[in-house]
Amino acid sequence: MANKLSKVLVANRGEIACRILRACNEAGIASLAIYADNDANSLFVELADEAVMLQGDSIASTYLDQAQILQIAADNAVDAIHPGFGFLSERADFAQAVGDAGIQWVGPSPAAITQMGDKMTARITMRNAGVPVIPGEEIEEVEEQAALAAIEEASHRVGYPLLLKASSGGGGKGMRAVHHPSELISAAQGARREAIAAFGDGRVYIERLLTGSKHVEIQILADRHGRTIHLGERECSVQRRHQKVFEEAPCATMRPQLREAMGSAAVAAAKAVDYEGAGTVEFLLAPNGEFFFLEMNTRIQVEHPVTELITGVDLVREQLRIAAGQPMSCGDLMIRGHSIEVRLYAEDAANNFLPAIGKLAVFSPPEGPGVRLDTGVREGDEVTPNYDPMLAKLIVWAPSRKEALQRMRRALDEFVVLGTTTNIRFLRELCDQPEVVNGATDTTTIDRLWPNGWSPNVSQSMKNAALLIASCAEANGLQRRGSSVSNQVSSDGPVSPFQTLNRRFP
Amino acid sequence: MMQNQFKTEDGLVEVTISKQGDSWNFEGQSCQILDDGRLQVTTVDGSSHLARAAKVGDIWWVHLCGQTFKLEQIEPGASASEEQGGLTAPMPGKVLEVMVEVGQEVSAGTTLMILEAMKMEHKIVASTDGVVTAINFNAGDQVEQGVTLLDLEQ
Repeated sequence: MANKLSKVLVANRGEIACRILRACNEAGIASLAIYADNDANSLFVELADEAVMLQGDSIASTYLDQAQILQIAADNAVDAIHPGFGFLSERADFAQAVGDAGIQWVGPSPAAITQMGDKMTARITMRNAGVPVIPGEEIEEVEEQAALAAIEEASHRVGYPLLLKASSGGGGKGMRAVHHPSELISAAQGARREAIAAFGDGRVYIERLLTGSKHVEIQILADRHGRTIHLGERECSVQRRHQKVFEEAPCATMRPQLREAMGSAAVAAAKAVDYEGAGTVEFLLAPNGEFFFLEMNTRIQVEHPVTELITGVDLVREQLRIAAGQPMSCGDLMIRGHSIEVRLYAEDAANNFLPAIGKLAVFSPPEGPGVRLDTGVREGDEVTPNYDPMLAKLIVWAPSRKEALQRMRRALDEFVVLGTTTNIRFLRELCDQPEVVNGATDTTTIDRLWPNGWSPNVSQSMKNAALLIASCAEANGLQRRGSSVSNQVSSDGPVSPFQTLNRRFP
Repeated sequence: MMQNQFKTEDGLVEVTISKQGDSWNFEGQSCQILDDGRLQVTTVDGSSHLARAAKVGDIWWVHLCGQTFKLEQIEPGASASEEQGGLTAPMPGKVLEVMVEVGQEVSAGTTLMILEAMKMEHKIVASTDGVVTAINFNAGDQVEQGVTLLDLEQ
């Protein structure tokens, strides 16, 4: 293969497709987007040089249809495929098929994906490479009754509280925390069911639940010229339902010596599987400074921007360089300032973070110094239940952690999204919590701060002001006037957008 | 004078606003509409803020000082779509499992049904003690948002 990519197929959608397509554009590489019918008007399709529609009406028959994607790649003289995250990004069989078709996979080898993708295999590989893993046990039984019996038996040795995790898992799917033996079997059944539905593999393993720990992950880059480096850590402890919502770099409590130890462990983990490209090694960091391998994500990570902002490295550009066989362009690690990312979801934070849908009648992101927005939507778009409800990632950079938090508060206050419920206010209140302000967050922070669920802290005079505004807007016919506030909104829209949508849950 | 009724998270609220010059008043606050369609509010403490509002269907969405409000306007004479004590689907999805039977006594907190939506499982939990009087869906059924899944009698 020549030392330059000429055309990259982006096998993804939404904000990460936009991120990769923009990187291709900047690098002078032609780009090709693939999209399902219900994404025909999405932003990422617009950003691509070319776009080909996928035939099919479910995720399985579109973004997960390997044969169809490979055919499109062949028909359009593509020389590389970037999988983004999610979808096919951690499918070794797809990476293999891409390579077999003579197309460059933007990511590690199929063997590395396999060794890290199966979480139980990864635990064993890491243990053998001398990387500390969380105390726990792998459960090899596949059949339901045998697996439940093995889980029950192993639970006595692992001890409570414990965590059940799908071996093929990710994104919190197929994961259950168990605090009492009486909950074990139903939790195991639930985890297995979710894992079978999401990954087609019901195997789960058990880990001791290490409470009070931070989720700290190390960004890795490795090229074919003998360099494997780490780019420091990100802290992603603040999670709801095992999904990250607030991420920062560097970790507030990190010391140079510990960073070096964790960085070296991550580099060892990457080298153990002959890693190539960008990857992330996740650790749990206990209060006493002990750290344990959680898993390695063999792809670009959702929260990669915070690392980019503090290191000055464009991770997606580096991925493209490495895939083309070039050496990575970045030098020694230099950390400057502080960066925070929050994930904006269409969801009702006051109702157990239930996903929400609706039309983005107003979508007006913040601007100004140190603010970056990675999104796949724009004003007027419809948020549907077809895909993940993440609307955008709002990322700030500032010289210090304190200033980064101040900037994030300001940016969240400026962010206006009307037409669907979002978690903006939840994120904004999170920025005021002493634990967050002091950098004392751990993976149980949200559950501990709001044990009975979060609800917004709103004064009566604010509520009255909102009622006045709505009444005033109504009295003046703002909804019909086609003014700047409502020109994207059809005045004859249905009462409930739920009733007219064509929904699918593959 | 102008009267409106909104369904808010605090329940039904009746709002009567009165006009004075260019501005509308309510509970000591005033609001006026700027030429570009934005709204300017002067609150009880005398401070002034810009707000944005958009209507989608019957719902007014209002953004003010970093807070977003969802206010469903109730047409005069129409009755609000109150839930009738049944347990409704919080979102569209598929019924994975029905955990109870008709006639079964349950206590508050009991999981009655498991729904799957967006590939995540959601538990439908009894909010009070009671007896299951009807189960309207079976495992595998697709459900629309807002439909009554089960009836529970206290």
